[in-house]
Amino acid sequence: MKSGLRALLCLLVAAGAGDGLGAQAPANPVGRWSAALDLAGGPLPFQLLVDEHGGLRAGRLCSATDCQAISAIRQEGDSLVFELADYAASIAVVVRGDSLVGRYHNVGRRGPRTIPLRAARGAMPVSSAPATLVGRWDAWFQSGFDATPRVLLIENTPGGAEGTIISNSGDYGRFAGEMKGDTIRMGHFDGSFVYLLTARLDGDTLRGIFHAGLRSQTPFVAVRSTGRRHLTPPTEVTRADSTTPFAFAAPDLEGRTVSSTDARFRGKVVLLDIFGTWCPTCHEAAPLLAELYRDYHARGLEVVGLAFEVAGDSTVDAPQVRRYRDKFGLPFPLLLGGTSDVETVAGLLPGLDGFTAFPTTIFLGRDGRVRRIHAGFYGAATGSAHEALKAEFRREVERLLRKN
Amino acid sequence: MVLLASCPLSLLTAQQGDDLLRERREYAHWLATAPLSPYALLRIQPVGPGISLGAEPSDIPLPGIGRGMAREEGAQVVLRRDSGRVALPPGRPVPVGTFTLVASGPPGRTVIAAFGPVRHFTPPLWYPPAPALDVTVALQPSGRRDAFRILGPDGTDVEVHEAGFVQPALPGSTVRLRVYRVPGEEADETELLIYFRDGTSGTGSYPAGRFVTLIPAGGGQYRLDFNRARNPFCAYSSAFPCPAPWPGNTLPLRIEAGEQYHAADPHPAP
Repeated sequence: MKSGLRALLCLLVAAGAGDGLGAQAPANPVGRWSAALDLAGGPLPFQLLVDEHGGLRAGRLCSATDCQAISAIRQEGDSLVFELADYAASIAVVVRGDSLVGRYHNVGRRGPRTIPLRAARGAMPVSSAPATLVGRWDAWFQSGFDATPRVLLIENTPGGAEGTIISNSGDYGRFAGEMKGDTIRMGHFDGSFVYLLTARLDGDTLRGIFHAGLRSQTPFVAVRSTGRRHLTPPTEVTRADSTTPFAFAAPDLEGRTVSSTDARFRGKVVLLDIFGTWCPTCHEAAPLLAELYRDYHARGLEVVGLAFEVAGDSTVDAPQVRRYRDKFGLPFPLLLGGTSDVETVAGLLPGLDGFTAFPTTIFLGRDGRVRRIHAGFYGAATGSAHEALKAEFRREVERLLRKN
Repeated sequence: MVLLASCPLSLLTAQQGDDLLRERREYAHWLATAPLSPYALLRIQPVGPGISLGAEPSDIPLPGIGRGMAREEGAQVVLRRDSGRVALPPGRPVPVGTFTLVASGPPGRTVIAAFGPVRHFTPPLWYPPAPALDVTVALQPSGRRDAFRILGPDGTDVEVHEAGFVQPALPGSTVRLRVYRVPGEEADETELLIYFRDGTSGTGSYPAGRFVTLIPAGGGQYRLDFNRARNPFCAYSSAFPCPAPWPGNTLPLRIEAGEQYHAADPHPAP
């Protein structure tokens, strides 16, 4: 089977190399195609589906049951062009009987991104993963000196073997491909993201490479999940560089810049609260912050609220945040950070990594370095969890105040 | 790679040569037509405490566009004009009339790049394909762990890590080239980038050096194909700042492969 596929693809490569063999009539593309993108690490398998209704053609790119609609299909010379308007991308292929040869193309900001593509008519062969591969695997992806956790799920579904890769912050969509003997080759391609995972079982360890885009490769190792927690839940994924003082600077409600280097923060324990007036959970955290400030300010605690609002325009946001301050009687400075999207937060606080939740409270020690980050907040509705968290915040502040 | 293993070698070589020429055609087309082509750049300007954009006189002149001021507000750059407010989120192209603005860079050091129609275009010049300068290298790890910022090929600053060194087997050279891991265009993508100088720098190729990326070849090996070496964008337009050559990355021979540069053909800022 495998050698047959190799021979077919070799023929397709040969056909592609000829450039303009075709003085033939365009062949009919309607139907299912078993396709592959040709990455540096080998082929990324996916399916291309073309339908025709009332003379109109429509298409989809599918990785297992994850499908992305093709926005338009048009004939251009002897090529068939599939437009992926959302991604400013396209696929141009020449249909030759039962094969397609062409390229995926995306405009790119630094130059064009082109990946060779080929397909054979017919559904992707249904593969069934052997029991030795099926299940949940705890993986470490290695990039330079850093290893980050992922979970791989391999399962057999009525549509064939499927995979999922989950990171701390989410998953990469469904993967489909070939899982045979001790090897895995599974891909996810939606017209923009280009992901391929290849692996081989080596004793009890799965060793492989995660490919992103045309040339990016991340080695990984995985072992069978013991049931112990491997990923960090979203409330704990937010991290910061704790080797240098954490920097922040933003205008207060009067337009004066308040910065982490201001004299008022020198030698103090600082709680930096990332919030939005639009966020109900933030409202629940506000009274605790006011209480902590009143109880500990004399001993060296400063609290700063950093608001990320819907408008991102200070003439709208400043009055809104002022109302919030007055409602909760907040005695500490509130700053305007901009709009409430993750990019804005990341841009304003480059020292913070993996911001996901409003509110997020950053605890800075007297030397200005990050000592703890708490993403999210258990509101009063959670009862004992709320009380436990309040006590935990208080303990942490006291602990930091004791240190010099 | 596995799939091509059963193909005759001659066919593979022809295919690789064909790929190179096709890549060059596509790159020339991108330079001539893409909205963010370096030939479409009008100006890159630091935002600083605020800059004006629009009808002359402005820091960034955009003929036919009502005058406005761009400032860093919180984490993003905001352009305010009589007609309203436009946010410029980092790295995202934002159309303003017939122009496109892109803000980038870390807070406090944000720059705005303004792009307009491509007004002049000179197709890139290449040395003829040199198969001997497409070599396989192994990446030797670096001891340096910290992240730092450099000016990328496109004149914007990016955070990188030192991925290590490669020592291409070239006649008369024992130079180890420094390799940086730079962010790719999509999530989870990175590129292994080399900025190098050689005997042709200033006498056939761009004086400050050329960029080339490593192509993974499996088993910890990479293809270093000097035929794919390209100029930094400052070679196309003096509107771009030029990345400083990387320390130690000078090869003691003439790499007559990849993109050429002819100083006799200056590319002034529009």
